[in-house]
Amino acid sequence: MKQAQFEAAYTPLWNEIDTLLGKRAEGREALPEQYRRLCQCLALASQRGYSPQLVTYLHGLVARCHHALYGVAAERPAVLLQWLRVDLPCRVRAEWKLLLVVLLCLLGPAIAIGVLVWHDAHNAFMFASPQELTHMHQMYAPSSFKTGRGGSEGDLQMFGHYIWNNVSIGFRTFASGIFGGVPALVSVLFNGMKMGVVAAWLSLDPATRSNFWSFVVTHSSFELAGLVLSGLAGLRLGLALVKPGRLSRRRALQEASVQMYPVVAGAALLTVLAAFFEAFWSASAFAPAVKYSVGAVCWALVFLFFGFAGRGKGAHATR
Amino acid sequence: MNFLLDGRLSLTTPEGVRLQLVPAGPVVRAYAWAIDAIAWGTASSVLIGMLGVLIPSEKMFSGVAAVLYFLAYWSYPVFCEIYAGGRTLGKRAVGLQVLRADGLPVRWRESVLRNLLLVADFLPLFYASGLVSMLCDRHFRRLGDIVAGTQVVYRDKPPKRVEVPNAAPLPLPFPLTAEQQRALADLFARENRLPHGRMLELADIAAPLTGREGEASLERLRGMAAGLVR
Repeated sequence: MKQAQFEAAYTPLWNEIDTLLGKRAEGREALPEQYRRLCQCLALASQRGYSPQLVTYLHGLVARCHHALYGVAAERPAVLLQWLRVDLPCRVRAEWKLLLVVLLCLLGPAIAIGVLVWHDAHNAFMFASPQELTHMHQMYAPSSFKTGRGGSEGDLQMFGHYIWNNVSIGFRTFASGIFGGVPALVSVLFNGMKMGVVAAWLSLDPATRSNFWSFVVTHSSFELAGLVLSGLAGLRLGLALVKPGRLSRRRALQEASVQMYPVVAGAALLTVLAAFFEAFWSASAFAPAVKYSVGAVCWALVFLFFGFAGRGKGAHATR
Repeated sequence: MNFLLDGRLSLTTPEGVRLQLVPAGPVVRAYAWAIDAIAWGTASSVLIGMLGVLIPSEKMFSGVAAVLYFLAYWSYPVFCEIYAGGRTLGKRAVGLQVLRADGLPVRWRESVLRNLLLVADFLPLFYASGLVSMLCDRHFRRLGDIVAGTQVVYRDKPPKRVEVPNAAPLPLPFPLTAEQQRALADLFARENRLPHGRMLELADIAAPLTGREGEASLERLRGMAAGLVR
């Protein structure tokens, strides 16, 4: 068969496939059958030595069909819920050793520095500049500590600030973890250090003590959980590079990132939740007793969630 | 068909068709990045300027702007890659696309991971890690690509079909191999991109086939090329 006859015989098929590819996925029921005929056309055209342009054209059409047919993802509308209810807590529990390491990195310096500062206030200047401490002190001093920030506008401003700042820190902590996990741990350590200094410094002065603790008690539950999860995910990624086990390093990195993807998403969601509480609740005008009780409930929720959610539900079901 | 020793990645589909991908190197990706950065900067400043007009309150404006800035900063490449065929504006302009290692379009997980890891590629200074990783990797993958299992490749333009040479078909004096026939057909498909002098030179080389030289040889060649098709 000459090329001209071949083209005349099959051009309607090729044009039909071309229009089908332009449509949305619903109208493509006929595509698999036509794709097989197209592949046969391509095989014939290249075997019979038809012109390279024709072969390239058919090849391009085949490639587009391949994408359209094999590239569709199965619809999983409940996947986010499944992650949050099952995968996130299960994967965090599965990495309990790393979780302990990250917690130690956060709480170790926080408690040690806190005790040091509590013991002798001058020690605070080893870890923070005097200006910073004065600024912190002023923020929580009764004279300037306003409950409510002048209406919802100020709350919204702080919400935007917390989202941009804190969630980005979480993402950076995770991503930088790829370098052996060290930068992720350093980020957690640094935050723990700062937390220890500020908490101890503000607790020393009875004037700021109550203001500070009632402010942070609620949102710190979600925010610290988010930070710990980001650090955990980053450390896991770094360990895949340092200690890949029986996999190649590349493969280990990919496996670790698949495992940690819900954890990173969970960390981001927790940080957003924390920003929400920090902006709209922590500075509200409720009495400290109310804030402490809500804070206690939030902390209990975090512990219960990561301790018990998703137990016995067939972990690692989704990828 | 001969397969040349080049940098292309060959993937075989279940139907036995070989798809070939050309990985994109650091320079062209840096161009795409620069175009993206300019487009992103312009779009976000215009948007923020418009917001400033719409929201008169200073505090409210800075809050809304920070949230929008956050969303735009982290999600712009992800949305582009998922909903625009693996191409941000810069990649579209330069002719690149992001694909998974198996040659299929990226999905949420791959896209999110590779763009989060952009932070790691940036460290310690202006994408130094990403550059080192690209130079060491066979497929020019940066760290984010390695972790997410993706790659950036050149995107072929959808090929057009070319008309056959307009001449009276002539029979071949002796049989040609498929390879030689293909070379002949290819020559006339590319005729409008070659200068006439070059066509004459090539027609001279084909003297054993046509038995003529110069213009006459070219005309006979054209006829034979038409004869291959019709």
